[in-house]
Amino acid sequence: MQIALCGSAGDGTIAAGDILRSAVAAMGYRVICFDVYPAEIRGFGKCIARLRITTEQSYSLKRQSDILVSLDDAHAIPHAGEVRDDGAVIYESQPVAACPEGGHMSGHVLPGQIPYGLPIREMAEKYTGGARSRNLVVLGFVAGLLGLTPAPFLQIIEKKFAKQGAAVVARNQKGFQAGHEAGASTFKLDDVRVAPVEKPEAAGQVVMLSGNAAVAMGCMDAELDTFFGYPITPATSIMERLAVAMPKRGRRLLQTEDEISAVAAAIGAGYTGARSATATSGPGLALMAEMLGLATIAEVPCVIFVSQRGGPSTGMPTKTEQSDLNAALYGSPGDSQRIVIAPTNVEGCYRCAGKAFEMAERYQTPVLVLLDLYLSNRYETVTLADSGPPFNLDDNKPMRRLEAGELYRRYALTEDGISPRAVPGDAGCMHVITGLEHNELGRPDDREETHAAMSRKRHDKLLAALEHPDFTVAKRFGDPGRVQVGMLAWGSTFGECLEAMFMAHSEGITCAAMKVVMLSPFPVQAVRAFMDSCDVVLVPEVNHEGQFAQLVQGILARPVVRLSRVPGSPMPVELILEEIRRLARGIVTAIAS
Amino acid sequence: MTAHAASSSPAPHRYVIIGNGVAGNQAAETLRDRDPEGSVTIITNSRLLFYNRYLLPQLFRDHMDWRELLPHSAEHYRQRRIQVRRDSRVVSVNAVRRQVMLAHNESIYYDTLLVATGGRGYLPEELADCRHLLSYFSTYEHAMAMRKALPDKGTVIMLGGDMIGLDLARVLLGMDHRVVLVTHETTFWPHAVAPDKRGEFLQALQRMGIELVDGEAQGGVATIEQGTSGLPARRVIFHQGGDLYGDVVMPCYGLVPMVEFMMGSGTDIERGLLVNATLRTSDLHIFAAGDVCQIWSEREHAYHFYYGYKNVRAMGAVAAINMTGGNEHFSTTQDETLVQDSQGHIDSPFWAYD
Repeated sequence: MQIALCGSAGDGTIAAGDILRSAVAAMGYRVICFDVYPAEIRGFGKCIARLRITTEQSYSLKRQSDILVSLDDAHAIPHAGEVRDDGAVIYESQPVAACPEGGHMSGHVLPGQIPYGLPIREMAEKYTGGARSRNLVVLGFVAGLLGLTPAPFLQIIEKKFAKQGAAVVARNQKGFQAGHEAGASTFKLDDVRVAPVEKPEAAGQVVMLSGNAAVAMGCMDAELDTFFGYPITPATSIMERLAVAMPKRGRRLLQTEDEISAVAAAIGAGYTGARSATATSGPGLALMAEMLGLATIAEVPCVIFVSQRGGPSTGMPTKTEQSDLNAALYGSPGDSQRIVIAPTNVEGCYRCAGKAFEMAERYQTPVLVLLDLYLSNRYETVTLADSGPPFNLDDNKPMRRLEAGELYRRYALTEDGISPRAVPGDAGCMHVITGLEHNELGRPDDREETHAAMSRKRHDKLLAALEHPDFTVAKRFGDPGRVQVGMLAWGSTFGECLEAMFMAHSEGITCAAMKVVMLSPFPVQAVRAFMDSCDVVLVPEVNHEGQFAQLVQGILARPVVRLSRVPGSPMPVELILEEIRRLARGIVTAIAS
Repeated sequence: MTAHAASSSPAPHRYVIIGNGVAGNQAAETLRDRDPEGSVTIITNSRLLFYNRYLLPQLFRDHMDWRELLPHSAEHYRQRRIQVRRDSRVVSVNAVRRQVMLAHNESIYYDTLLVATGGRGYLPEELADCRHLLSYFSTYEHAMAMRKALPDKGTVIMLGGDMIGLDLARVLLGMDHRVVLVTHETTFWPHAVAPDKRGEFLQALQRMGIELVDGEAQGGVATIEQGTSGLPARRVIFHQGGDLYGDVVMPCYGLVPMVEFMMGSGTDIERGLLVNATLRTSDLHIFAAGDVCQIWSEREHAYHFYYGYKNVRAMGAVAAINMTGGNEHFSTTQDETLVQDSQGHIDSPFWAYD
């Protein structure tokens, strides 16, 4: 079941979604949620909270919702068509102001949908003394209509409003209960049902996290020492969460004056041996480009979380996109090798965050973790292992004891390309760190053979990351063996690909999907083997130029079919499915002819 | 530079129909056929698309989903471009500005309006205070609520009767329910049964298995109460002091036209909207069809209500033809004679529909 709540900024739309997801997660359902809100900080822009509630794990939101709740018809009317036939559309039945013709939701409910007008404002005023609790009244109505027990909602409301005092809690609970009673007593004509769920035996701790919350949790579990950041949508909440969590563990977080300072400070901290990180979005990544080159050449570990949004430039700050791949891979002067990984779901955000510190330390390089707004802001239920954080808390290469009189070679050319790393203060290990090309001692050296050897070292050492312990660089899903259509996907779009793949299976199309988590270094063998088993390979991604498709074609010199769209929202599952069908039909036709 | 002629196509004619029953939907279909470019909008209080209310008694026999009652799918409305504005209550009509005002503060403009709101079950004033204890049967929701309230082999008390109630009674008896009918002058509504025939038809009802209580002899129903613990859920008390217990009490006193929202519109109203034989009201742009209107009979020099599926459907078609420039006159083809079948049970032509 998928519910969409739509309103104007200030209507409490996102807050209602927050309460709903927390309550159903507490009941044992799996949830995926994604909020859309306006770019403008002031004003009355559109907010939408979409929640998919399932008994089993799902991988993306659906294109069509089962229920649409309108807290503001002007914003919600364009979304009326998103509700499936026999789904419900819930709206204000007694607006205060006169509507122009066509300005009321009832005029836009499609013939197959079920309208539920509710005097939301009147009920809020009657039961809570004001209209502010309209969101809770309508949330109660939804819960009542679906037959969901009110207790978990009331608990969440109590928790959410506790700081505002008992009176506020009671008022909001009363509004919810009034809505719940109205929903429960409404004659239900839609066919939206919630299957009962039994809380599974705990195979771990089930928590509800957003992508950015999972990143912050991963950072804390990997014992991040220092964080430097400058706010930017949609990465800001990583810093906000760490700003609360880190001081409690005696760690430091600093908001710097800009992104250049942030990454410079993170590199500086990394140089001292601290686990350090920063988080930004596309425009911030552009500013960090030069300093990332320094981290590469100086071989300093640091982690940069990049949550992509619509670009270029300021672009569309509150819309999702996957168009910073090229910037992440190549966005520095010179051969600036770095590790780039991209989780595909919220649980992956947690794992990638923690593993990024291991990799940064082990391979002595900057590691970029590519998220996007859809992944950063979407909530999922995640199961965390009871056995504790799955991260190695010290992945530095052990230092060999130096012989008497031996000079410390910070950039020693070793078999695996990784040099023993000393940090300031280590006895006898004084060395020079510089952005200039250097020899093994770190001293500036621009001779051809030195530059060639160091370039090779910085490149080759990263290849080991393709076999980094307990880390999935790429994984195939779906039909084993030869398939008609294979999909290669990265980042948040992989969830949509999986959903499309399952739908294609039900139509008899043989189909498989591979998620590519490690984008640099590229898992050539795994991807090549996958492509070998597919009649045709489709690459869906949310950017205009097909950046990942270009990467695949550039490395493997194989044809792929691109599905590149920039809707400002996640790639629609139906669009991917349609392309799978088209390709499958083409294959069948080609074989027949 | 190329000169472009301004578009000469006029704005599509806006037909608005208030009411989502047989008449309204027949009118919508006819309008669409006769004016493919026109805008056709049905406004209804109901949350459902048009469904066959004549099938409602069957809900007691079969576990029917409301979707099975729909003559047309949602796709039909999309294809025919008939907009159905559901869950929208009309509060007034401004005939001067040609506006329909909705309860949610929206006004809808029309070029031509058809009022086809039908009738609602009549409830005598003395029972108004008991309305919460009564079960109704005019909508799917009502029917399902009543079904839920009625236990196996439960007792239904019908106050009045009327042919809608008696149609349901036939089904209920077949489902082993007990039906008690409190007779009233409306027992055979809308049939006009001659006094000398009434006793014969009442006996026919008894042969069908309906238990009769002479409502007139009891002085009429005084009130209805919640049944006390251990007894059926409802108690009907008569003015003469007698009482009856049942699980469900239904008022079946015939229909009254739903015209309240037309007060102040300037159109002529007696009990229903007064229309001529072309179904046009006293306002040039407003027509009426179905149980809501009284039609002028040249022959009798009087206004008449015409009930039954066939009449109502014909009225919808005639109104639509005249709304699109025609000049058809409505004339009834409905047989209104109440008869007894070979088993001695009553049979009404109003129970026949297709």
